[in-house]
Amino acid sequence: MIKLKFVKRTHNNLRWRILSFFIALVSSLLVSGLLMASVGQNAFEAFWALFEGAFMGQEAIMDTLLRATPLIFTGLATVVAFRARIWSIGQEGQLVMGAIFAYGASVIFSGLPSIVLIPLVIIAGFMGGALLGGFCGWLKYRFKVDEVISTVMLNYIVGYFLTYLLSGPWRSKGSYYLQTEEVVKHALYPVLMEEYQLHIGFLVAIVTTVFMYFLIRKTSLGYDIKALGMNPTAFRYKGANIPKMFVLVMMISGGVAALAGTGELLGVHGRLNMDISLGLGFTGIIVAMIGGLTSIGTFFAAFLFGGLVNGGYVMQVMTGVPLSMVYATQAIILLFFLCSSLLSKYRIKKVTDND
Amino acid sequence: MTELLTTQIIVSILAATIRIACPLMIAALGELVAERAGVMNLGVEGMMLMGAFVGFFVTHQTGSPIIGIIAASLAAMVFSLIMAFMAITLKLEQFVTGMALNLLAAGLTLFWYRSFQKIVGTSVPKIDLLENIKIPFLSEIPWLGKIFFCHNPLTYLAFLMVPMIWFFLYRTKYGLELRCMGENPAAIDMKGLSVDTRQYLAVMFGGLMAGLAGAFVSVASSVRFVPDMTAGRGWLAIVIVIAGNWRPKWILVASLVFAFLDAFQMHVQAIGFKIPYQIFLAMPYAIAIVALMISRTKSEAPAALGIPYRRE
Repeated sequence: MIKLKFVKRTHNNLRWRILSFFIALVSSLLVSGLLMASVGQNAFEAFWALFEGAFMGQEAIMDTLLRATPLIFTGLATVVAFRARIWSIGQEGQLVMGAIFAYGASVIFSGLPSIVLIPLVIIAGFMGGALLGGFCGWLKYRFKVDEVISTVMLNYIVGYFLTYLLSGPWRSKGSYYLQTEEVVKHALYPVLMEEYQLHIGFLVAIVTTVFMYFLIRKTSLGYDIKALGMNPTAFRYKGANIPKMFVLVMMISGGVAALAGTGELLGVHGRLNMDISLGLGFTGIIVAMIGGLTSIGTFFAAFLFGGLVNGGYVMQVMTGVPLSMVYATQAIILLFFLCSSLLSKYRIKKVTDND
Repeated sequence: MTELLTTQIIVSILAATIRIACPLMIAALGELVAERAGVMNLGVEGMMLMGAFVGFFVTHQTGSPIIGIIAASLAAMVFSLIMAFMAITLKLEQFVTGMALNLLAAGLTLFWYRSFQKIVGTSVPKIDLLENIKIPFLSEIPWLGKIFFCHNPLTYLAFLMVPMIWFFLYRTKYGLELRCMGENPAAIDMKGLSVDTRQYLAVMFGGLMAGLAGAFVSVASSVRFVPDMTAGRGWLAIVIVIAGNWRPKWILVASLVFAFLDAFQMHVQAIGFKIPYQIFLAMPYAIAIVALMISRTKSEAPAALGIPYRRE
């Protein structure tokens, strides 16, 4: 019997990284196709509708960018936390908290002109997420509460908080649905081009991506984040302040995730409702993993996943394949990607007698 | 009159506590076995959801809740093999793998449910519930009978599992090996026993139990399937393992405490308190965080939990 063995590659192999991404993508499409076939759908038609809806033509691209915008934020939020090996899955709750704070600010400061109001609302949204994230960081260093658990629990708590606000104090009068009044017109994000819905949130996303790139690559804080992620023990010996790092990293992560909620509120929904997130936080985690936990990679992965969701709506209308197919596909991509990423980290070697 | 009402409500709350505790306890006991073997499986929520859907679907197709429950357990067990393969064979980061499992289950069950709705042509397909069994004589006891002895068969099974798992872990050779794997897998390896095989079995058992718990949520509690119907119970099960300090009897206690809060919350709504009911809905999750804040002392967490075993 031939014995095989994984041998760690000595240097980071970009060619294999790109190749492994495509292997994962193709395998996922195959499995998704089989899934659709299993319930009697024509997979080719569905994929074609999805692709057309996502990337063919200016309108498709613009809508894909609109869908990608929140994913860029939740993805970047994941990148900064995971690089420090802080396993936060609280993007979902932070996003909602951001939207809640942003809505609150838009009501309180509604008398101010747009030019002051919009930045204020963005800052308020950021603070909402940062407080929530920072709280989990504090729980981690002060009480050793695992951040995986605390962030998940807070996702649920924030979810109920939102339901409470929407069914009670903030509910729009006489409305059948759980939703608030519309946000005042001059607090809404202006659109970038007349006939498309794409709003300035996309520009904020680009700025945040660049900012995150420099933060991780070029600043001493970024260096500390990577050091904490690679070897916390050595990091402690260096005399670094780990508690401060936990809180700081989680505040940045939470704040950035919250910007997704602010954007959805002010650029898409125009009011606070129960559909403000629909899993954007979780998709952000996949996006960040596919993006190799780098800022630039995450930006492009978000574009791909925004396309999946945007195309998914077209697919649902054109072929009747439920949109939920896309959510399954996203998770399948992640699974295959995790497996195939081993190809870029290890090479397979035949074990000989000399070993 | 009011006194009668109060007794009735208390009996009803306690009976609900027993009922609600079961899926939490079953899933937590399964996770306990996996964690004791050193594998941190965060995919409990996903495995439960898978069990809930398959249980519902098979019950709908066969008309038999029993077959549905068996199918749910087996399906979740097969599903847990993905986790086992990625965490044990490929030695990938267990946290990310568990997350992927949860997302996959959420997507798949929703997709299958939507497709199923279209195929059967009704928006709310319904099933027959697993029936309750009244234990003769014991169920006649005033109050206690209603609280303890008028439940569905899975409930009794769940409570039986506690001493069974305890016996397995602490009184059998395999249980000892399993606990040893969580502390020091190299010792098992050195004895010439396969760490991988044992961890696979532990994860699969966790999957089986999560599937059973999921079936409890659908087949034994609701005539219809609701997307994401496990609603965080899988995560609570993980918290219960930590709060129960990785010991079966404390897991039993922790499950009952969480279940009591939930049962209380349901009745508060019925009685008509002026407090927003969302506070009570959010309570188990808040209590979970508080429980973790206190439970950090003298933890029995397996030393090698979540660390893939590599032979040096």
